[in-house]
Amino acid sequence: MSQVINIATKRNIIEARARIVYHIRQFFMSEGVLEITAPTMIQYPGQEPNLEAMSVDLRDYTGQMYTAYLHTSPEYTLKKCVAAGYGDVYSMGPAFRNNESFGGVHNPEFTMLEWYRTAANMYAIMDDIDALFAQISEDIPDSMCAKPCRRLHMREVWQQYVGVDLDAYLTVASLFALVSERGYTASIHDSYEALFYTIFVQEIEPHLGVDVPTIVHHYPAPMAALSALSSDDPRYAERFELYIGGVELANAFTELTDATEQLSRLQAEQKERQARGMSQYDIDTSFVDAVGQLPTCAGIALGVDRLVQVLLGCKNIDDVLVLPASQIFKS
Amino acid sequence: MADNTDIKKGAVIRHNNDLFVVTDFQFVNPGKGVAFTKTKLKGIGSGKGMEITYKSGESIDMVTVYRKTMQFLYATGDTYSFMDKESYETIEVDIDIVGDQAKYLKEGMDVVMSTHEGIPVAMELPKKISYRVTVSPDAVKGDSTSGNVTKMIELENGLVVHAPIFIKEGEEIYVYTEDSGYAGRVTE
Repeated sequence: MSQVINIATKRNIIEARARIVYHIRQFFMSEGVLEITAPTMIQYPGQEPNLEAMSVDLRDYTGQMYTAYLHTSPEYTLKKCVAAGYGDVYSMGPAFRNNESFGGVHNPEFTMLEWYRTAANMYAIMDDIDALFAQISEDIPDSMCAKPCRRLHMREVWQQYVGVDLDAYLTVASLFALVSERGYTASIHDSYEALFYTIFVQEIEPHLGVDVPTIVHHYPAPMAALSALSSDDPRYAERFELYIGGVELANAFTELTDATEQLSRLQAEQKERQARGMSQYDIDTSFVDAVGQLPTCAGIALGVDRLVQVLLGCKNIDDVLVLPASQIFKS
Repeated sequence: MADNTDIKKGAVIRHNNDLFVVTDFQFVNPGKGVAFTKTKLKGIGSGKGMEITYKSGESIDMVTVYRKTMQFLYATGDTYSFMDKESYETIEVDIDIVGDQAKYLKEGMDVVMSTHEGIPVAMELPKKISYRVTVSPDAVKGDSTSGNVTKMIELENGLVVHAPIFIKEGEEIYVYTEDSGYAGRVTE
C-alpha cells in the first residue's frame, strides 16, 4: 500500500514527464530521425573504465547458457545502424548501470535518449538540443529549457573558474603539478582524466548551467573517449557535455570513424578496467567493424530522468520515477 | 584507510587536521569520466560548512565515532534534550546536530547519537517511526488532485504527511524518516 501512496503523490510530475517524453518523440519524428528499439540485453557491454554492467542469466530452451548483460547505453547498437546506412537514428529506452547509488542523480535503471546525426559534427547536435528545448518549453514554460544553451569552450571555463590557461595543462605531468599545487591529493600515476576531474568537479561543475543550460565543448585529447579530435586544434577532442544546475545531463561527440584507433582505445580501456579491478568484458569486434564503416556523424546520450528532474525542479531523481530502486528494494 | 564507499551521514572525517562531520553526500558516476562522491561537511566545534569531492578509491581519513542509543526527552527552543540510556545522563544537543530530522522527533523515542570525545556530532533516526494520527479530515472522493487515493493528515508531533484516505484519527501509522512517506498501519 505504501508504494501506491507514493505513486499517487507523484501524479503531477509523472504527467509532466509523459508530456516531455511525448515532445521528444514528436521532435525526432518531425526531423525525420528513425526511432530504433535497441535490445537492452547484449553480449558485449561497453568498456568505459568506471561503468559496471549487470549480468543476466540467459539460457535457451535446452538450458544452454549464454554470456549476457544489460546494456549501459544503446551506443553500440545505434552505431551499427548508422554504419548500416540507416542515416539519422535515435533511441529512447532503459539503460542499466551497476554499483551506483539508489537515488540522488542515479537510479540503476534509467531512461536514456541517444541520437546520431550523419554528415554532421557536434555543433549539429547542439542545434538539436536548442530546437528540442524550444519545443519542450512551449509546454513546460518557465523551466530552464526556455533559454537557449550557452556554449563555452573548455578553455573558457578553466580560465573563468580556475584562473588558468588549460592549454598549458594538457599532459599528465603538467596537470598533476597543478592539481598538487591546488592542495588536492593525487598521484603522478593517475590518469589524465582522473586529474582533470579532481579540479573540474570541485571548482567548475557546480557553476555550470546555474542560470541557463550550458554546453561545455572541446575536451582535452586524452579525454576523447569515442570522439574525433578537432581538425582545427588536435590538442582537443570534439566532445561536449550539457549541464543544467550543476547536473550533467548529456555527453556528445563528433564520432570517431577510424576502426583501428577505436580498437586501440577499447584495448586501453580494457587495461584500465583491469587495473581498477572492474569486471572484464570482451571487445565487441562487430562494433569495431561498424566504426570503420561509419559516415561522418555526431551523437549524444542524454539522461531523460535527469532532464525531467531539472526541468521540474525536483531535488532527487526518485521524484520523477514511479517506483525508484530505493523504494522497490527498500527493506 | 577508508574510501568513498564508507561515507555516510554522521561519519567524521579528518581534513587538514580539523574534524568534520558529513551532513550530506551524493555519489556521482558520469558514463565517460571518473566516479566521485560529493560531500557536505560541517566543522566540529567551528560549525563551518564546506564541500569536498572525493574520487572513487581515494583514501579518506575517517575518525571512529561512538554510537549510543539515546531517548528524546523534550525540546526547548533550539536545544534538544536526550537521555543516555546507559548512564541515564541528560545531554543537550543543538539544533545544528538535529537539523531537518527535528520534525520526526517525538517524546520518548530512541535515536542513535554519534559522539566524538563525548561531544554529539550526528543523530540518526530509525528507518520508520510510528505516530498516532491526530488530525485526519474525511476525504471526499474526487476532491484530491493526487489521484483520489491520498489526503494530508497530521500526526501527534505536528508532522504532516500524505496517507491513504481510509486512515482515521486515533489510528497509529508508520512513516519513513527518509522522505516522510507513508509506511503502513501499525498492526498489533
